[in-house]
Amino acid sequence: MVTLSGRVLGEAGILPGATVAVPVLSAGVTADEQGNYSLSLPAGRYQVVVSFIGYQTVKRDLNLRNSQQLDFRLAPAGNELGEVVVEASGTLEQKQQSTQMSVERLTATEAKLLPALFGEVDILKTLQLKPGVQNGGEGTSGLFVRGGSADQNLVLVDDAVVYNPNHLFGLFSVFNSDAVQSVDLYKGGFPAQFGGRLSSVVDVKLREGNNQKLGVTGGLGLISSRLTVEGPLKKNKGAFLVSGRRTYFDIFTRRINQLNEGDPDFNPIPDYYFYDFNAKANYTLGEKDRVYLSGYYGQDKFGFNSTGGFNFNFNWGNAVASARWNHVFSPRLYANTSASFTHYKYEIANKLDQFSFNLSSTIRDYTLKTDFEYTPNERHTVRFGAMGTQHRFGVGRLKAGSTDGRLSFGDDVGYDGQEGALYATDNFRASDRWQLEGGLRLTGFRSGTDAYAGLEPRAAARYTLSPKLTLKANYALMYQYLHLVTNSGASLPTDIWYPSRLSVKPQRSQQVSAGASFLFAGGQWLLTNEVYYKWAKNQVDFRDGAQLFVNPDLDAEFLFGKGFAYGNEIYLEKKTGRTTGWVGYTLSWTKRRFPAQRGTSGINNGELFYPTYDRRHNLTVVGLHQLSKRVNLTGSFTLSSGNPTTLPLARFIFQDIYGDDASAVPVYPNRNGYRLAAYHRMDLGVVWKMKPTRWFTESDLTFSIYNAYNRRNPYFVFFDQVKNEDESQVIGYRARQVSLFPVIPSVTYNFKF
Amino acid sequence: MRIMQISRILGTAHCGQRGLGVLGLCALLSSCGLQQDIDVELPAYPAQLVVECYLEPGKVPQLTVTETTEYLADPSPSLPQQVQVILGGPAGWRDTLRFAPALDPITQKAYTHRGRAPLQARPGDVFTLDVTDEQGRHLTGTATMPAIVPIDTVEWKFNDQPEAQRKAYVLVRFQDPPEAGNYYRFQIHRDSVSKDPEVDYNPQDRLNNGREFTLGTSYEFAPNDTLVVTLYHLDKAYADFMQSVDDARGANGNPFAQPAGIKSTVQGGLGVFTVLSYQRRTVVIK
Repeated sequence: MVTLSGRVLGEAGILPGATVAVPVLSAGVTADEQGNYSLSLPAGRYQVVVSFIGYQTVKRDLNLRNSQQLDFRLAPAGNELGEVVVEASGTLEQKQQSTQMSVERLTATEAKLLPALFGEVDILKTLQLKPGVQNGGEGTSGLFVRGGSADQNLVLVDDAVVYNPNHLFGLFSVFNSDAVQSVDLYKGGFPAQFGGRLSSVVDVKLREGNNQKLGVTGGLGLISSRLTVEGPLKKNKGAFLVSGRRTYFDIFTRRINQLNEGDPDFNPIPDYYFYDFNAKANYTLGEKDRVYLSGYYGQDKFGFNSTGGFNFNFNWGNAVASARWNHVFSPRLYANTSASFTHYKYEIANKLDQFSFNLSSTIRDYTLKTDFEYTPNERHTVRFGAMGTQHRFGVGRLKAGSTDGRLSFGDDVGYDGQEGALYATDNFRASDRWQLEGGLRLTGFRSGTDAYAGLEPRAAARYTLSPKLTLKANYALMYQYLHLVTNSGASLPTDIWYPSRLSVKPQRSQQVSAGASFLFAGGQWLLTNEVYYKWAKNQVDFRDGAQLFVNPDLDAEFLFGKGFAYGNEIYLEKKTGRTTGWVGYTLSWTKRRFPAQRGTSGINNGELFYPTYDRRHNLTVVGLHQLSKRVNLTGSFTLSSGNPTTLPLARFIFQDIYGDDASAVPVYPNRNGYRLAAYHRMDLGVVWKMKPTRWFTESDLTFSIYNAYNRRNPYFVFFDQVKNEDESQVIGYRARQVSLFPVIPSVTYNFKF
Repeated sequence: MRIMQISRILGTAHCGQRGLGVLGLCALLSSCGLQQDIDVELPAYPAQLVVECYLEPGKVPQLTVTETTEYLADPSPSLPQQVQVILGGPAGWRDTLRFAPALDPITQKAYTHRGRAPLQARPGDVFTLDVTDEQGRHLTGTATMPAIVPIDTVEWKFNDQPEAQRKAYVLVRFQDPPEAGNYYRFQIHRDSVSKDPEVDYNPQDRLNNGREFTLGTSYEFAPNDTLVVTLYHLDKAYADFMQSVDDARGANGNPFAQPAGIKSTVQGGLGVFTVLSYQRRTVVIK
């Protein structure tokens, strides 16, 4: 046997998911996340076919006498007019043939075609259109995967963890679509190389940059602009990419404030903006060594400076960096070793005259990780590796003081933690019909004197009933040693990460899923159906009125419970032809139970309750149609059951002590007992590719209409007082439903030169 | 007849819509046509007794007994019938309060039951409350009078704005007792305690135990304002109750808040039974 190995590259970097096949042997593999492939073959002459949708297929005749390394470079399939090419996320056949199930891959190119809120393309929000994935509320980018909460997603960008992947309270994710190559979302059947979170892995890969020529791409949008510069460090050897984006609400609000200066009735609008930068560089040191450097830095800034001398500043953001070394020991063995750093911090600073108040929280990780892939023969692919992380949890730091020194108090609550893992997994092609994968991940965590360890078995199987029909099943056990301290359903920048220590034990989940994939219409359509059941223990919530900020005894505020989630996901997908898209339907249940404990009656009096992201039905339809070489029409439709929410069942009059107005106090006897009205929305878009000009080699106008038929979807419901004409008397109460976004048209101009 | 009367008094009390934590957002969305009335069917919730009783040394005990009503029901407070209220205190002191609904002219608060004589109470004294009604509902509570924490200084400082915009902030300093777990309520009223306070918040000594406290305001008081500064020293149960009331009110209309249950200081119903312990100073800022 000989081994053919190497990388598959496109115009602007690697092509994960590209197929390298030898048709005469019915053998083939797909390139991994780094674009690497490895194929074991008997020595001989073969035609090797390398393909990836959106790119021209390469066929090459090879005489393989010895193992050989060979990189394939595919050219885009576009024509002279530069039509919009859907760089699809792997072929349907690859998806059907893989042992891996419960994974969704999406490229930034696909996401960019779809209509988006305010025209801001957000690859995480696009993932919400996939079955099994729910959003946390109108317009937010949080992912709730198969009954898991948003903090149970492991969000990685080029191997480094991102702790708060949101801007503006979750309305936008931190991922700039110009810098992103693709994202893989694992909903279940987690490969053993991933761990640390219960519900999903969101694996974001940044683009590598064009190693052939210097280029600039950018976009002017309704609320932000983007600019990306990329080019070769050395032609065919290495490339760089630098991308930045900034919103400009603050420019308008400052102008409004200036215009109203001096008006005593005008309350100045606080400043708010966010920006982020992505950078990546890669360099081929030799035939066997490549290095990659990736970085992200982003900040949200909110500020208010009153003329009365009161200053309020609230800043938050992530800094992420990773360095990766890819070494090929032999065509059968290669390794990826990375060192990464991630840091998230929020800081609130108030100042009034001589008094100041500062509150902040951080989490910082240093991680070393190595992953090996070994292909001893054509039947086995073995992966193994290890990782270790040094965590620093700056749970809360408060400092209050005055310049005269009479006021001075504060606290600093922080912990260290060490997390480690070893794993090994083997993908065994037992026969033409059976493919099995078994893996084991040993994990451990320590914080102070508290230490925990866990064994995480992973298993997957694929059985090919016919070339068109495959059956798959998997099982995964996951531990999560980090917990998000939040008392809100939303992703707030003030959410804190807390280690497993003292009474706060690691969270644990187990998931089984099974499914069938049916490829039909000549491989143009893929129908998959998956059922899953997930059960979890040591789920965390917090007691009512919990003191979450700067609390040295924070673990006493936790409540622990169990979680259950099960459902069925149907997914029909078409990736080739002028019309592409998908239809997904999910029928699911998510439940939690927090019994009486720690002097409380638990949550919902210990009874089962539905978390806010439980949706019984969820239907998504996404369509992309290439009307002409210049015009693409896109649309998406979402219909889902309303989310559970907590409404007060009763009220009482509370007069309070001296001088305070009487008020109605709501009584909330149970959690999430009311379900909001169903949610449905249609978004429409047109991408109009313009002719190349002297200045721009490519440019397009992307029109989006968010919520095209102006549906008033429920965001939340509250109870309001009805008053008499002079507003002196309450004459009744009413329920009010608040919606967030009406129809929102937007246009974005994107360019490339 | 008397029940009708107290209902009217309580109903007339101006019910501020407190707790709409995102009031600005609601107003904005309302102006954009993004709010609408909807029909909501809530499951039945059995009415519970609600008591509000703030005992004060030297004042005749009085309290309000009402009951919870379904949220969307008529705004008139629902009053339980045939309510018997018994207060107990040190050395076997006992008083059965009379049903005598009225409006307190000083506090502008309505009450349903009133005692016969001013209360004798000192810090550390323990009092009990026992309420029953004709439906057999039984509410009990115990309260201990906290020690008075004296105000050391009340200071103010004006900004350097032109005369018309000249405003002062106020600082109140006091010494926190050495033992941990002290809770306070800080109020500043302009002119009279009968009106809504200008400043009202609930600090605790979690981060500043046993040290000097400095409580302050923003620049909000004009020259010659008469300010009534009050520092209440609360027991933990009352502080928890206040926090839970704030949280519950804050959750109605705030999509980011997690609704919380009321942590009553009483058993068998909802509400608060406590002994107020405070020091009050009146200053004119110049």
